[in-house]
Amino acid sequence: MKSEAEFRSELRKWIVNKNGKIKAEDLKDDTAIIEQRIISSLQLMDLILELEKLSEEALDVEQLKPGVFKNIDSICHNFYKGESNA
Amino acid sequence: MPSKSEIDLLSLAELHWHKMGQASLSGSLLELFRKLDARFQDFAKKYKPEEYFFPPFISASQMAKLDYFKSFPHLLTIPVTLDEEKDNLLEFAGAPLREDGSLQLGKVQAVKEVLTPAACYHFYDELEGSKFTSCKFFTTRCVCYRREKQYLPLQRQWAFSMREFVCIGSLEEVQNYLAEFEAALAVYFKEMEFPVNFEFATDPFFNPSANPKYLLQKLEPVKKEMIYDGKLSIGSLNFHRNFFGETFSLSHNDTPAYSACVAFGLERWIYMILNERGLDSNKWRI
Repeated sequence: MKSEAEFRSELRKWIVNKNGKIKAEDLKDDTAIIEQRIISSLQLMDLILELEKLSEEALDVEQLKPGVFKNIDSICHNFYKGESNA
Repeated sequence: MPSKSEIDLLSLAELHWHKMGQASLSGSLLELFRKLDARFQDFAKKYKPEEYFFPPFISASQMAKLDYFKSFPHLLTIPVTLDEEKDNLLEFAGAPLREDGSLQLGKVQAVKEVLTPAACYHFYDELEGSKFTSCKFFTTRCVCYRREKQYLPLQRQWAFSMREFVCIGSLEEVQNYLAEFEAALAVYFKEMEFPVNFEFATDPFFNPSANPKYLLQKLEPVKKEMIYDGKLSIGSLNFHRNFFGETFSLSHNDTPAYSACVAFGLERWIYMILNERGLDSNKWRI
């Protein structure tokens, strides 16, 4: 299981690559990625797939609540499950 | 069994309901229509919006840029003209109508326009490529066309009137505009004792589960409706992010502009006034 720092770092790298314009240093943890259209509606579907990969867990799209993709902080809060003790 | 309000509405001599989903207004109802439109403009007077008059058609290629045909094909209304070939016109003129009242069209010309489904689309089309250096405000009133499965007088119409107020500027300016507008409307609804609440909503997407735009709207709500009596949306506040700015190259200080609109459905407001104030025009306080 990834550490939270690794989770954030991989997520940030993915968003930067997907967007193609924003620099990693400009993408803060509280940068509004949907509001500022850093991630488009089509890319949101890819983001969900990426989060399934990162969190090693299938996501039920129907259960997703408004605001969960607001920024890197909210994504971590909602999808990072913590380091496993196993 | 029609509801009480339906019976009352249809008894009004100044409302002529066309079952294909359109309403004609005259007399005091037309006067109410105009007063409501003036009231809406009063809400926005501090912004001094520039007013435009728009025609009913909008280019299909511009609407395609918005993915409109993928997202809302079920709402579309399309103007059709006959192929100009003489034999085709003669054939049509000789037997224009079928027994069921539908037109026997024969050959038709290529369709490159649609009837506008919302008033504000015209602005992004009209202003395409503009470079703004300050926040801009615009308004228009249009007849809009949305095909529905069924229609109800004043509440759900194929053709209806929409007054819109558009703001184009920075993220902060546009968000402040929406917040101010909502606050002013909330005060108004309370003062007038109209039972209207603001509720987040999504647009009526076709095949929503297969449309990422629907998912995005659900997860990051951008539309707030003014819901009358818990069931009828009489208007909405919409945050477009910088979608129109990017799609139509509208810039604000050299970055894609953010935009928002506040929309009012005239006929639905008339329905609310009639329901709340009764049928005596002397009591139509707005």
